[in-house]
Amino acid sequence: MSDASQAVPVTVKMRGFGVGEKSTVPISIVTAAAILAAWWLVSRTGLVAHLFLPTPAEVVSVAHSIWEDGYANATLWEHVSASLMRILSAALIAIALGIPAGIAMGLNRWAKGILDAPIEFYWPLPPLAYLPLMIIWMGIGEASKICLLTLAMFAPIVLSAQAGVRSLPVERVNAALSLGATRWQLFTDVVLPSALPEILTGIRIALGVGWGTLVAAELIAATRGIGYMIMSASHFLATDAVFVGIAIIAACAFAFSLVMRALERLLVPWHGKG
Amino acid sequence: MLRVHNASVFFAARSGAAVQALDRVSLDIAERSFVVALGTSGCGKSTLLNAMAGFLPISSGSITLDGVAVGAPGADRGVVFQKDTLLPWKSVRDNVALGLKFAGVGRQERDARALELLGLVGLQDFSHAFPYELSGGMRQRVGLARALATDPKILLMDEPFGALDSMTREQMQELLVSVWARTGKRIFFITHSIEEALFLGTKVIVMSPRPGRIVAEFDIDFVQQFARDRDARAIKTSPAFAELREEIRAIVHRAENLESDTV
Repeated sequence: MSDASQAVPVTVKMRGFGVGEKSTVPISIVTAAAILAAWWLVSRTGLVAHLFLPTPAEVVSVAHSIWEDGYANATLWEHVSASLMRILSAALIAIALGIPAGIAMGLNRWAKGILDAPIEFYWPLPPLAYLPLMIIWMGIGEASKICLLTLAMFAPIVLSAQAGVRSLPVERVNAALSLGATRWQLFTDVVLPSALPEILTGIRIALGVGWGTLVAAELIAATRGIGYMIMSASHFLATDAVFVGIAIIAACAFAFSLVMRALERLLVPWHGKG
Repeated sequence: MLRVHNASVFFAARSGAAVQALDRVSLDIAERSFVVALGTSGCGKSTLLNAMAGFLPISSGSITLDGVAVGAPGADRGVVFQKDTLLPWKSVRDNVALGLKFAGVGRQERDARALELLGLVGLQDFSHAFPYELSGGMRQRVGLARALATDPKILLMDEPFGALDSMTREQMQELLVSVWARTGKRIFFITHSIEEALFLGTKVIVMSPRPGRIVAEFDIDFVQQFARDRDARAIKTSPAFAELREEIRAIVHRAENLESDTV
């Protein structure tokens, strides 16, 4: 009997709770397939009027023609690059200003006191509430859009950089000081890397906010951009082209999130371990 | 000589009243000595260490290291913490070399020195590992090597083995004695384990709480015995060891009872 139990050991595991370790990916794939099938069925059988819901095949063929011939007086690449240009330049400005501002707020009483008032006032506001002001002040060109996006993305980056600095354990600071660190060495070798995981999380949140704000900004006063493409398609009740626009945004946002995840793996592989 | 003279520390309680954490503590730590502070929580032993390290200013009295008043934290006083304070983004070797980097020592020289110290604590094969890949005991050994790297005049150790299991703890004690014997560093070590204090110290100070003060001092030599014979079991089971352990236990308990009488 003991021989038999040695031959095929019964492996066991602690009873779990919640989602557990088994992959959820197959379930998600089946769900996605079911949604596509339902879409196809509903649009094909005419259950929903064709004007409101095109069939999947139509969306694919419109996507193909937009790819070949462009849409609303611009090629697809011109629309996509206009949007990417706006979000990336706003992200760069927001990162360049937000990280130093947030770190200063985490370290310095004056910086915290001065910056807290404007940031706490404006960041809960929906960006579309101050978009009209941006347009009145800076016109309908790129400046107002990039400024709006920068403001929307600045707050999450500042707040996360500040949180990153404030979560730094005091023992870590004391350890560095008793190893002879100067104030500057303490900053570059301990404070900055300690805050990096939170800063990266802040940038990821900021990019999400950025996409939401970008499309809204392009709905008003633009001649290029994915948001503009969706808006002009909706004027002609071209729901198929609207679907294509949405799919492009989803793909771009997904690509951004993949890049951020890769950056996190590269820069803070130690985060959340040990 | 690290000399603490009549050091008192008061903290402000939330009510605004001053609460005394340390009451006129005087202590000398001579060259090559291993001083262990023993006491229950709240007896001011960590406050004393923080004052020596320069993390905490004292209200009155003085602390001098080789005649110079102790101020802000610095590389002349190496600290090993109870909590692991290694930098998670640096390899074990770079963590050990951190103090040398701060001092401006070149890459090659500090790597060589770090490897040498990792050898001293038995971790030469882990120089490229990261802290999260190590066990608690190994991390504390890295912390010890890191504190030694800048060649401090004294090592301050704040319950460094408090979070380890008892087997690992005994191994770490024996390792620490070897390191102490090899390097000849002065050590100020905090613990609440009587056995650990007796095994490690050349001098044990017993502290009692509220306000923290030294109530007894013992000069002992079990640690020299161990450095010579390397037989920890023989020492810990010896009648002399047991006798002293019971004597100190009585003092610690009396200190606690006195306190509960006055409350």
